[in-house]
Amino acid sequence: MPAEAPRPEVIAEIERLLGLVRDRYGARLGAAELEEVRRTVEGIVEAAHTLRAVRLGNSDEPFPPFVPVRTDG
Amino acid sequence: MIADPIFAPLRDLARRLRRGELSPVELAESFLRRLEGLGPRLHAVVTVTRERALTAARRAEAEIAAGHYRGPLHGIPYGAKDLLATAGGIPTTWGAAPLRAQSFDFDATVIRKLEAAGAVLVAKLAMVELAGGMGYRQPSASFTGPGRNPWNPETWTGGSSSGSGAAVAAGLVPFAIGSETWGSILSPAGNCGVTGLRPTYGRVSRHGAMALAWTLDKLGPLGLTADDCGLVLDAIAGPDPADPSATGRAFRYDERDPAGRRFRFGILPAVTEPCEEAVRASFARSLEVLQEIGSVEEVGLPDLPWETVTRTILQAEAASAFEDLIESGGISALTAPEDRAGPYARDAILAKDYIKAMRLRGVMAREIDRVLSRLDLLVAPGRAAVASPIDQEFRSAIRGTVADPMGAIGNGAGLPAVAVPNGLDPRGLPTSLQFMGRAYDENTVLAAARAYQARTDWHRRHPEL
Repeated sequence: MPAEAPRPEVIAEIERLLGLVRDRYGARLGAAELEEVRRTVEGIVEAAHTLRAVRLGNSDEPFPPFVPVRTDG
Repeated sequence: MIADPIFAPLRDLARRLRRGELSPVELAESFLRRLEGLGPRLHAVVTVTRERALTAARRAEAEIAAGHYRGPLHGIPYGAKDLLATAGGIPTTWGAAPLRAQSFDFDATVIRKLEAAGAVLVAKLAMVELAGGMGYRQPSASFTGPGRNPWNPETWTGGSSSGSGAAVAAGLVPFAIGSETWGSILSPAGNCGVTGLRPTYGRVSRHGAMALAWTLDKLGPLGLTADDCGLVLDAIAGPDPADPSATGRAFRYDERDPAGRRFRFGILPAVTEPCEEAVRASFARSLEVLQEIGSVEEVGLPDLPWETVTRTILQAEAASAFEDLIESGGISALTAPEDRAGPYARDAILAKDYIKAMRLRGVMAREIDRVLSRLDLLVAPGRAAVASPIDQEFRSAIRGTVADPMGAIGNGAGLPAVAVPNGLDPRGLPTSLQFMGRAYDENTVLAAARAYQARTDWHRRHPEL
């Protein structure tokens, strides 16, 4: 079964973030490397949209929780 | 006639060493010869630590002779994945060409603990460059060459603890230390037909180990049997002021197998769906064995994106852990072409999305513990496929090209798991079975694996080299 085509807002986000990566590292990247970067950015954006689709409550904090430190024990 | 120490279980070696029937120096020499002879053929070894090994073996010999016996690892050789720091000018390369001259002036905590137990470091073992954290998709992703599987050198060992899996399977070391962020112990254990234990996150100090993803990295043993892995975990577990993640919860390996002990096993729905036919067949046979020692039932989990959660955390943390190497362009010297470019894309992971993954991780940890609290263990095929050809791209859960809910949940929630060999496909390549338990419940995981191995002989089969 062919993969579902990305929605326009997903395509737009991929292009924006790809532009950011290209701005930072483009001088080091040839055509093959840019294609590798594009594939990875596509995966990252698709993953982000999957994560954003899940609703969490205000009290659902990051795990593991932050633990304050005292170096003197 | 003295039985061959190659492929002998650790307890057997320990008994013979303690009685003086085996010499630690001769034992070290036996494995050093195999490492030097067979290791290069398999691309399994980075550095043979001959001098350090013989010094430690002579010390062990003198101590045992004098009655100062340290325990079941005293005088036993082992290999360490080459991401564990070792002093004395021994390189620690992280499998990466640009770091092939890297060295440290201290031993990782795991190395220190094994030395205190009297074990003898004989080799630093090959690994996928940077433990696979840059997104590799082919076996040729290490400056030491693709890890060749002892069962068929034209197939891959699995990764990223490639040398650890191959060295145990080929009888180059009695046991090895590997690391797992997602799959890096269970994958080579499965491909190479050995037993691999991924301990609970924080059970073993990571001080002196290369960081790939701080909240996911675990160190653990690969050996011939679950009992071997339990003996090693007993020596390396414990708190460490140098690693804030190392738990203060005590661990002592419980080797007792009460007669008639029964387990309650669970299976996630459709867990064999992505598997090859031979893997499914082996798993079906394994379930028949598990029915002899317990009950098996299907259990459900909420429909949440577990693999996306763990993948996002891994990619974001790895991008930060190797920030210097990426920003400086140092990754251009890595071996796999995809590792030289893909990491730049990680700048596209937004902080809010990483934090969302970390919040979902809390849900994951609570949900899986709720399921496991009514069971003893989840069981599943160790890997969806047998070893792939050495020159081909492989499917990877980390890249999202194959489903691996057990790996995503187990690593995301930091749970212990053990992979044991459970069959051979028609071409003679191993398949594997995994047991996954609640956090800090390695003893139940190992007890079930021991019970399985007491009823099967897959762990006693070895490749012909």
